[in-house]
Amino acid sequence: MKANARHHGKVTVVDLSGKITIGEGDLKLRQAVGGLLDEGRKNVLLNLGGVSYMDSAGIGELVACYKRATEKGASLKLLNPSGKVQDLLVLTKLQEIFDIYRDEREALASF
Amino acid sequence: MGRNVKLRLASRIGYVDLVHEMAESLAREARFTKPEALNIGLAVREAVINAMKHGNGLDAAKMVDVEFRRNASTFRVLVKDQGPGFDEARMSDPCEGANVLRTSGRGILFMKHFVDRVAFQRRRGKGTVVVLEKRLDNGGRNGRSAAITGRRR
Ligand SMILES: Nc1ncnc2c1ncn2[C@@H]1O[C@H](COP(=O)(O)OP(=O)(O)OP(=O)(O)O)[C@@H](O)[C@H]1O
Ligand SMILES: [Mg+2]
Repeated sequence: MKANARHHGKVTVVDLSGKITIGEGDLKLRQAVGGLLDEGRKNVLLNLGGVSYMDSAGIGELVACYKRATEKGASLKLLNPSGKVQDLLVLTKLQEIFDIYRDEREALASF
Repeated sequence: MGRNVKLRLASRIGYVDLVHEMAESLAREARFTKPEALNIGLAVREAVINAMKHGNGLDAAKMVDVEFRRNASTFRVLVKDQGPGFDEARMSDPCEGANVLRTSGRGILFMKHFVDRVAFQRRRGKGTVVVLEKRLDNGGRNGRSAAITGRRR
Protein backbone atom coordinates (compact mmCIF):
# COMPACT_ATOMS: atom_id res chain seq x y z
CA MET A 1 0.00 0.00 0.00
CA LYS A 2 1.18 3.51 -0.82
CA ALA A 3 -0.04 6.78 0.60
CA ASN A 4 0.76 10.21 -0.87
CA ALA A 5 -0.59 13.42 0.57
CA ARG A 6 -1.26 16.60 -1.41
CA HIS A 7 -2.73 19.82 -0.13
CA HIS A 8 -5.57 21.79 -1.71
CA GLY A 9 -6.07 24.85 0.44
CA LYS A 10 -7.45 23.65 3.75
CA VAL A 11 -8.03 20.10 2.52
CA THR A 12 -5.43 17.33 2.43
CA VAL A 13 -6.04 14.62 -0.14
CA VAL A 14 -4.35 11.31 0.56
CA ASP A 15 -4.01 9.17 -2.56
CA LEU A 16 -3.97 5.55 -1.46
CA SER A 17 -3.04 2.68 -3.73
CA GLY A 18 -2.56 -1.06 -3.45
CA LYS A 19 -4.31 -3.12 -0.84
CA ILE A 20 -5.10 -2.22 2.75
CA THR A 21 -4.64 -5.43 4.67
CA ILE A 22 -3.41 -6.70 8.01
CA GLY A 23 0.17 -6.06 9.04
CA GLU A 24 1.13 -3.57 6.34
CA GLY A 25 -1.54 -1.47 4.66
CA ASP A 26 -3.45 -1.00 7.89
CA LEU A 27 -0.34 0.31 9.66
CA LYS A 28 0.55 2.66 6.80
CA LEU A 29 -2.98 4.02 6.76
CA ARG A 30 -2.79 4.64 10.51
CA GLN A 31 0.55 6.45 10.13
CA ALA A 32 -0.57 8.54 7.18
CA VAL A 33 -3.79 9.76 8.77
CA GLY A 34 -2.31 9.93 12.28
CA GLY A 35 0.53 12.12 10.99
CA LEU A 36 -1.86 14.58 9.35
CA LEU A 37 -4.06 14.81 12.45
CA ASP A 38 -0.98 15.39 14.62
CA GLU A 39 0.05 18.23 12.29
CA GLY A 40 -3.30 19.76 13.03
CA ARG A 41 -4.90 19.09 9.65
CA LYS A 42 -8.65 19.27 10.00
CA ASN A 43 -9.90 18.22 6.59
CA VAL A 44 -8.75 14.91 5.18
CA LEU A 45 -10.01 13.28 2.01
CA LEU A 46 -8.90 9.68 1.50
CA ASN A 47 -8.76 8.88 -2.20
CA LEU A 48 -9.47 5.15 -2.38
CA GLY A 49 -9.52 5.04 -6.19
CA GLY A 50 -6.30 3.01 -6.37
CA VAL A 51 -7.15 0.58 -3.59
CA SER A 52 -7.89 -2.86 -4.99
CA TYR A 53 -9.21 -4.45 -1.82
CA MET A 54 -9.23 -4.34 1.96
CA ASP A 55 -9.60 -7.03 4.62
CA SER A 56 -11.36 -6.73 7.98
CA ALA A 57 -8.22 -5.28 9.55
CA GLY A 58 -8.05 -2.61 6.84
CA ILE A 59 -11.70 -1.70 7.26
CA GLY A 60 -11.19 -1.67 11.04
CA GLU A 61 -8.31 0.78 10.61
CA LEU A 62 -10.44 3.00 8.39
CA VAL A 63 -13.00 3.16 11.21
CA ALA A 64 -10.23 3.87 13.74
CA CYS A 65 -9.00 6.76 11.56
CA TYR A 66 -12.52 8.12 11.31
CA LYS A 67 -12.93 8.03 15.08
CA ARG A 68 -9.54 9.62 15.73
CA ALA A 69 -10.35 12.41 13.28
CA THR A 70 -13.70 13.04 14.95
CA GLU A 71 -12.07 13.13 18.40
CA LYS A 72 -9.67 15.79 17.15
CA GLY A 73 -12.43 17.87 15.65
CA ALA A 74 -11.32 16.98 12.13
CA SER A 75 -13.33 15.46 9.34
CA LEU A 76 -12.35 12.46 7.26
CA LYS A 77 -14.15 11.75 4.01
CA LEU A 78 -13.77 9.20 1.25
CA LEU A 79 -13.29 9.61 -2.49
CA ASN A 80 -13.90 7.06 -5.22
CA PRO A 81 -13.94 3.63 -3.54
CA SER A 82 -13.42 0.94 -6.19
CA GLY A 83 -15.94 -1.87 -6.76
CA LYS A 84 -14.59 -4.20 -4.11
CA VAL A 85 -14.07 -1.53 -1.46
CA GLN A 86 -17.49 0.00 -2.17
CA ASP A 87 -18.99 -3.48 -1.79
CA LEU A 88 -17.42 -3.79 1.68
CA LEU A 89 -18.55 -0.31 2.74
CA VAL A 90 -22.12 -1.29 1.85
CA LEU A 91 -21.84 -4.71 3.54
CA THR A 92 -20.57 -3.19 6.78
CA LYS A 93 -23.07 -0.30 6.68
CA LEU A 94 -20.11 2.08 6.84
CA GLN A 95 -21.45 3.68 3.70
CA GLU A 96 -24.06 5.27 5.98
CA ILE A 97 -21.37 6.67 8.28
CA PHE A 98 -18.81 8.05 5.85
CA ASP A 99 -19.29 10.94 3.46
CA ILE A 100 -18.36 9.34 0.15
CA TYR A 101 -17.73 11.27 -3.06
CA ARG A 102 -17.21 10.29 -6.68
CA ASP A 103 -15.92 13.65 -7.84
CA GLU A 104 -12.83 15.20 -6.31
CA ARG A 105 -13.88 18.79 -6.92
CA GLU A 106 -17.22 18.18 -5.28
CA ALA A 107 -15.49 16.46 -2.38
CA LEU A 108 -13.05 19.37 -1.91
CA ALA A 109 -15.89 21.87 -1.93
CA SER A 110 -17.79 19.89 0.73
CA PHE A 111 -15.36 20.65 3.58
CA MET B 1 -10.79 -36.34 -7.75
CA GLY B 2 -7.18 -35.96 -6.73
CA ARG B 3 -7.06 -32.21 -6.52
CA ASN B 4 -6.31 -31.60 -2.87
CA VAL B 5 -3.66 -29.34 -1.44
CA LYS B 6 -2.58 -29.14 2.19
CA LEU B 7 -0.56 -26.42 3.88
CA ARG B 8 0.77 -26.21 7.40
CA LEU B 9 1.83 -22.82 8.72
CA ALA B 10 3.23 -21.37 11.90
CA SER B 11 0.97 -18.65 13.31
CA ARG B 12 2.67 -15.64 11.76
CA ILE B 13 0.57 -12.89 10.22
CA GLY B 14 3.27 -12.48 7.56
CA TYR B 15 2.17 -15.82 6.07
CA VAL B 16 -1.40 -14.69 5.49
CA ASP B 17 -0.65 -13.21 2.05
CA LEU B 18 0.85 -16.54 0.94
CA VAL B 19 -2.28 -18.46 1.81
CA HIS B 20 -4.47 -15.82 0.23
CA GLU B 21 -2.49 -16.02 -3.02
CA MET B 22 -2.56 -19.78 -3.02
CA ALA B 23 -6.33 -19.81 -2.46
CA GLU B 24 -6.77 -17.39 -5.33
CA SER B 25 -4.68 -19.40 -7.76
CA LEU B 26 -6.30 -22.70 -6.84
CA ALA B 27 -9.69 -21.06 -7.31
CA ARG B 28 -8.60 -19.81 -10.74
CA GLU B 29 -7.42 -23.33 -11.57
CA ALA B 30 -10.91 -24.51 -10.60
CA ARG B 31 -12.18 -22.06 -13.26
CA PHE B 32 -13.65 -19.44 -11.00
CA THR B 33 -13.62 -15.96 -12.52
CA LYS B 34 -11.02 -13.50 -11.24
CA PRO B 35 -13.46 -11.59 -9.01
CA GLU B 36 -14.75 -14.85 -7.54
CA ALA B 37 -11.26 -16.15 -6.96
CA LEU B 38 -10.48 -12.90 -5.13
CA ASN B 39 -13.57 -13.41 -2.99
CA ILE B 40 -12.41 -16.92 -2.10
CA GLY B 41 -8.94 -15.58 -1.31
CA LEU B 42 -10.42 -12.89 0.94
CA ALA B 43 -12.59 -15.41 2.82
CA VAL B 44 -9.62 -17.73 3.35
CA ARG B 45 -7.54 -14.75 4.49
CA GLU B 46 -10.08 -13.92 7.22
CA ALA B 47 -10.30 -17.52 8.41
CA VAL B 48 -6.51 -17.85 8.57
CA ILE B 49 -6.09 -14.55 10.43
CA ASN B 50 -8.69 -15.69 12.99
CA ALA B 51 -7.05 -19.10 13.35
CA MET B 52 -3.67 -17.48 14.03
CA LYS B 53 -4.91 -14.65 16.19
CA HIS B 54 -7.91 -15.91 18.17
CA GLY B 55 -7.27 -19.64 17.86
CA ASN B 56 -3.53 -19.86 18.35
CA GLY B 57 -3.01 -16.52 20.11
CA LEU B 58 -0.27 -15.63 17.59
CA ASP B 59 1.94 -18.27 19.19
CA ALA B 60 4.34 -19.14 16.36
CA ALA B 61 4.77 -22.60 17.82
CA LYS B 62 1.12 -23.34 17.13
CA MET B 63 0.15 -24.39 13.66
CA VAL B 64 -2.64 -23.59 11.27
CA ASP B 65 -3.58 -26.29 8.79
CA VAL B 66 -5.21 -25.27 5.56
CA GLU B 67 -6.69 -27.82 3.20
CA PHE B 68 -8.06 -27.12 -0.24
CA ARG B 69 -10.45 -29.77 -1.54
CA ARG B 70 -12.18 -29.70 -4.82
CA ASN B 71 -14.72 -32.03 -6.35
CA ALA B 72 -17.03 -31.72 -9.34
CA SER B 73 -19.44 -29.38 -7.60
CA THR B 74 -17.62 -27.62 -4.78
CA PHE B 75 -14.43 -25.81 -3.92
CA ARG B 76 -13.91 -26.32 -0.20
CA VAL B 77 -11.30 -24.90 2.15
CA LEU B 78 -10.71 -26.10 5.71
CA VAL B 79 -8.80 -23.94 8.17
CA LYS B 80 -7.83 -25.61 11.44
CA ASP B 81 -6.23 -24.13 14.51
CA GLN B 82 -5.12 -25.42 17.89
CA GLY B 83 -7.14 -23.01 20.00
CA PRO B 84 -9.96 -23.22 22.54
CA GLY B 85 -12.78 -22.82 20.03
CA PHE B 86 -15.69 -20.39 20.28
CA ASP B 87 -19.42 -20.18 19.89
CA GLU B 88 -20.19 -18.33 16.71
CA ALA B 89 -23.83 -17.78 17.73
CA ARG B 90 -22.67 -15.61 20.63
CA MET B 91 -20.75 -13.14 18.51
CA SER B 92 -22.43 -9.76 18.11
CA ASP B 93 -23.69 -8.53 14.75
CA PRO B 94 -21.14 -6.04 13.38
CA CYS B 95 -23.84 -4.29 11.36
CA GLU B 96 -26.09 -3.51 14.27
CA GLY B 97 -26.30 -0.12 15.94
CA ALA B 98 -23.11 1.09 17.60
CA ASN B 99 -21.22 -2.01 16.40
CA VAL B 100 -20.93 -0.39 12.97
CA LEU B 101 -18.28 1.90 14.47
CA ARG B 102 -16.28 -0.85 16.16
CA THR B 103 -12.75 -1.31 14.85
CA SER B 104 -13.04 -5.11 14.67
CA GLY B 105 -15.57 -7.92 14.52
CA ARG B 106 -16.17 -8.11 10.77
CA GLY B 107 -14.08 -11.09 9.63
CA ILE B 108 -16.86 -13.67 9.87
CA LEU B 109 -19.25 -11.28 8.12
CA PHE B 110 -16.72 -11.01 5.26
CA MET B 111 -16.35 -14.79 5.00
CA LYS B 112 -20.11 -15.25 4.78
CA HIS B 113 -20.35 -12.54 2.17
CA PHE B 114 -17.59 -13.98 -0.02
CA VAL B 115 -18.43 -17.70 -0.14
CA ASP B 116 -21.62 -19.76 -0.27
CA ARG B 117 -21.26 -21.55 3.04
CA VAL B 118 -19.26 -21.03 6.23
CA ALA B 119 -19.34 -23.62 9.00
CA PHE B 120 -17.52 -23.75 12.31
CA GLN B 121 -16.64 -27.06 13.87
CA ARG B 122 -15.41 -27.09 17.41
CA ARG B 123 -13.19 -30.08 18.16
CA ARG B 124 -12.96 -30.83 21.86
CA GLY B 125 -9.46 -29.89 22.98
CA LYS B 126 -8.28 -29.83 19.38
CA GLY B 127 -9.22 -26.40 18.17
CA THR B 128 -11.58 -25.05 15.57
CA VAL B 129 -12.14 -25.98 11.95
CA VAL B 130 -13.65 -23.36 9.69
CA VAL B 131 -15.12 -24.80 6.51
CA LEU B 132 -15.56 -22.45 3.56
CA GLU B 133 -17.43 -23.62 0.49
CA LYS B 134 -18.04 -22.13 -2.90
CA ARG B 135 -20.12 -23.92 -5.49
CA LEU B 136 -18.46 -24.47 -8.82
CA ASP B 137 -21.73 -24.19 -10.66
CA ASN B 138 -22.90 -20.80 -9.54
CA GLY B 139 -25.66 -19.56 -11.82
CA GLY B 140 -23.43 -19.84 -14.87
CA ARG B 141 -20.95 -17.26 -13.61
CA ASN B 142 -18.10 -19.70 -13.28
CA GLY B 143 -16.99 -23.30 -13.42
CA ARG B 144 -19.05 -25.18 -15.94
CA SER B 145 -20.06 -22.16 -17.96
CA ALA B 146 -16.39 -21.31 -18.38
CA ALA B 147 -15.82 -24.85 -19.59
CA ILE B 148 -18.58 -24.41 -22.16
CA THR B 149 -17.62 -20.96 -23.37
CA GLY B 150 -13.93 -21.74 -23.42
CA ARG B 151 -11.16 -20.52 -21.25
CA ARG B 152 -11.40 -16.89 -20.21
CA ARG B 153 -8.22 -15.10 -19.41
N1 LIG C 1 -10.58 -19.61 15.16
C1 LIG C 1 -11.11 -18.99 16.21
N2 LIG C 1 -10.85 -19.40 17.47
C2 LIG C 1 -11.38 -18.76 18.54
N3 LIG C 1 -12.20 -17.69 18.45
C3 LIG C 1 -12.50 -17.23 17.22
C4 LIG C 1 -11.97 -17.84 16.03
N4 LIG C 1 -12.46 -17.18 14.97
C5 LIG C 1 -13.22 -16.19 15.46
N5 LIG C 1 -13.25 -16.21 16.81
C6 LIG C 1 -14.02 -15.30 17.69
O1 LIG C 1 -15.03 -14.68 16.93
C7 LIG C 1 -14.89 -13.25 17.01
C8 LIG C 1 -15.33 -12.64 15.70
O2 LIG C 1 -14.42 -12.92 14.65
P1 LIG C 1 -14.32 -11.91 13.44
O3 LIG C 1 -13.29 -12.40 12.51
O4 LIG C 1 -15.70 -11.68 12.90
O5 LIG C 1 -13.88 -10.55 14.12
P2 LIG C 1 -12.45 -10.17 14.76
O6 LIG C 1 -11.45 -11.17 14.34
O7 LIG C 1 -12.67 -9.95 16.21
O8 LIG C 1 -12.16 -8.75 14.08
P3 LIG C 1 -11.77 -8.50 12.53
O9 LIG C 1 -11.84 -9.81 11.83
O10 LIG C 1 -12.80 -7.52 12.06
O11 LIG C 1 -10.41 -7.93 12.55
C9 LIG C 1 -13.44 -13.02 17.38
O12 LIG C 1 -13.26 -11.79 18.04
C10 LIG C 1 -13.17 -14.20 18.29
O13 LIG C 1 -13.66 -13.95 19.58
MG1 LIG D 1 -11.19 -11.71 12.32
